[in-house]
Amino acid sequence: MNSIAQSVKPDTRETRATRRVHVRWVIMLAVASGAIVVFFPFFWMAVTSLKTSPEIQRVPLQIAPDHWLNLSNYVEVFKREPFMRYLLNSAIVAAVAAVSSVVVSSLAGFGFAKYQFPGRDVFFLAVVGILMVPFQSVVVPLYIWMNDLGLLDTYAGIVAPDLVSVFGIFLMRNAIETIPNDYIDAARIDGASELRIFFLVVLPSVKPAIATLLIIKFMWSWNEFFWPMVVISSPQMKVVTMGLMSFTNMYFIEYNLLTAAAMISILPILVIFITLQRWVVQGVVMSGLKG
Amino acid sequence: MRQWFRIAFPRNPLERRKRAGFLFVLPALLFFGSVFILPLAQSIMYSFYKIAPGGAKEFVGLRLYEKVLTDPTFWTAVGNTVQLLLLSVPTTVVLALAVALGLNRITSLKWRNLWASMYFLPFATSLVAAALIWQWIYDPIYGFLNYALSFVGIPPQKWLQSLAEVRPAIAAVSIWVRIGFDTMIFLAALQSIPEEYYEAANIDGASAVQRLRYITLPLLNSQIIMVCILELIFNFKIFDQVYATTQGGPAGASQTIIGLLYDTAFKYFRFGDASVMAVFVFVTLMLVTLLQWRFLRKPVVY
Repeated sequence: MNSIAQSVKPDTRETRATRRVHVRWVIMLAVASGAIVVFFPFFWMAVTSLKTSPEIQRVPLQIAPDHWLNLSNYVEVFKREPFMRYLLNSAIVAAVAAVSSVVVSSLAGFGFAKYQFPGRDVFFLAVVGILMVPFQSVVVPLYIWMNDLGLLDTYAGIVAPDLVSVFGIFLMRNAIETIPNDYIDAARIDGASELRIFFLVVLPSVKPAIATLLIIKFMWSWNEFFWPMVVISSPQMKVVTMGLMSFTNMYFIEYNLLTAAAMISILPILVIFITLQRWVVQGVVMSGLKG
Repeated sequence: MRQWFRIAFPRNPLERRKRAGFLFVLPALLFFGSVFILPLAQSIMYSFYKIAPGGAKEFVGLRLYEKVLTDPTFWTAVGNTVQLLLLSVPTTVVLALAVALGLNRITSLKWRNLWASMYFLPFATSLVAAALIWQWIYDPIYGFLNYALSFVGIPPQKWLQSLAEVRPAIAAVSIWVRIGFDTMIFLAALQSIPEEYYEAANIDGASAVQRLRYITLPLLNSQIIMVCILELIFNFKIFDQVYATTQGGPAGASQTIIGLLYDTAFKYFRFGDASVMAVFVFVTLMLVTLLQWRFLRKPVVY
């Protein structure tokens, strides 16, 4: 050991250490500047939403708004469009989708994880196989169904294809699999019915997974655009993503209004996301499913 | 068959338990059956029928396939989609990997979390909002991008309104939205690599590049493949970003497959033609997914 250390130049260890510190700083700087670039559009959206229409058309461009507390665009958004209604529609649809997803997915997850019944593995593979079917490939028949059932332009129609996701079943099955069988058997010996076991033993032990699924599913539904565009036709049924599009129909888009509307549409998700980020990240990492 | 009879009419607690298990998964099966399997079969069926607006169907064999697959508009849309894909998928994956490697080297948990959340933030916004913010940044006259470029002497570009720049501009939006998602997957994988591997490599005198080449990348292999496939699927189905901004323009330069499918079905109500495209999308993505299973030898399940 000693002979090797002496055979190299005495200052090597020191220069190596300082180089490592330098490298660390370079990495830190690169990561940070990348993050700032990624964050910039949010900043720009926020700043633009505080400017007046003449302000955003100034040449040369001016970064800061004249008045940092100018909220007139936000007021105008609600005046121009029934934006409250859009927010409410999105909230209803996303909440129903999230709750129904949790209920159906945890039931199915329990069935797949803890029961033996004929065809179980085939059914599970079939559910996984659904991932191969892009929603856009089934949208025409679904539209015709909704038309025949009179569900076009209704909440039921908007939320129908969104009620369960493969991701949820995966997540819940994986979570429920970790529950020791002894707990379930113990409850059975005590005479609990299977459904009672589900409610009293299974659900309480997978609370983190439930939280993850609730948040992610709410987020996905809130941000949905393609299917709402297909089923919704009347203004009062529009969801918030479609509501944003109402501000783009003019020859010159009033970006001060559009960015204010975008801020409003993003804010609820952002608040949920930032406060509960741990669960979201866990969900993404646990299964990077759904494109 | 007898098994199923036993499930329907259980005689003892064990069979009753099997029935309970089946009943638990039944709602999900019914849902996927009616929202995916049955409509998929119908999509395939519709692609062989000419459907009049009144609902009258006429079997036309492969005529619609012939019509759609010889239509230059369709192949332009396919070409655009593939171009967008080639622009955004490799960039997203490489950048995300770089960011994850960088984040992994930051020892301060507080800072690492802060930077990570900033990269992850676009993932939480809707694609519509993301695209509209970018459209404003891309604005040829008042946009920030041209303003910023003027400082390095680049003249104003037309971005989304230019035939040549519209696809890179839209690809940039997709990259921006997806980078955080991929970073999170890579970062989690990086953090699960045991520290001893690197210590052993250090004792052997491996350089940073060698550590990356011989330890990190091989251990991330399955995540890299998975992320590539996910990005491929995501970008193949691109719609929101385009529809919110250019709606396929200028002059069809950003029309994508799903955009064309949407227009065909819900603007012109040519359900048969749209079904051919739906089948095309399904078959293509199925091939991609099967490729993934071949690569990974198992479905991506964590």
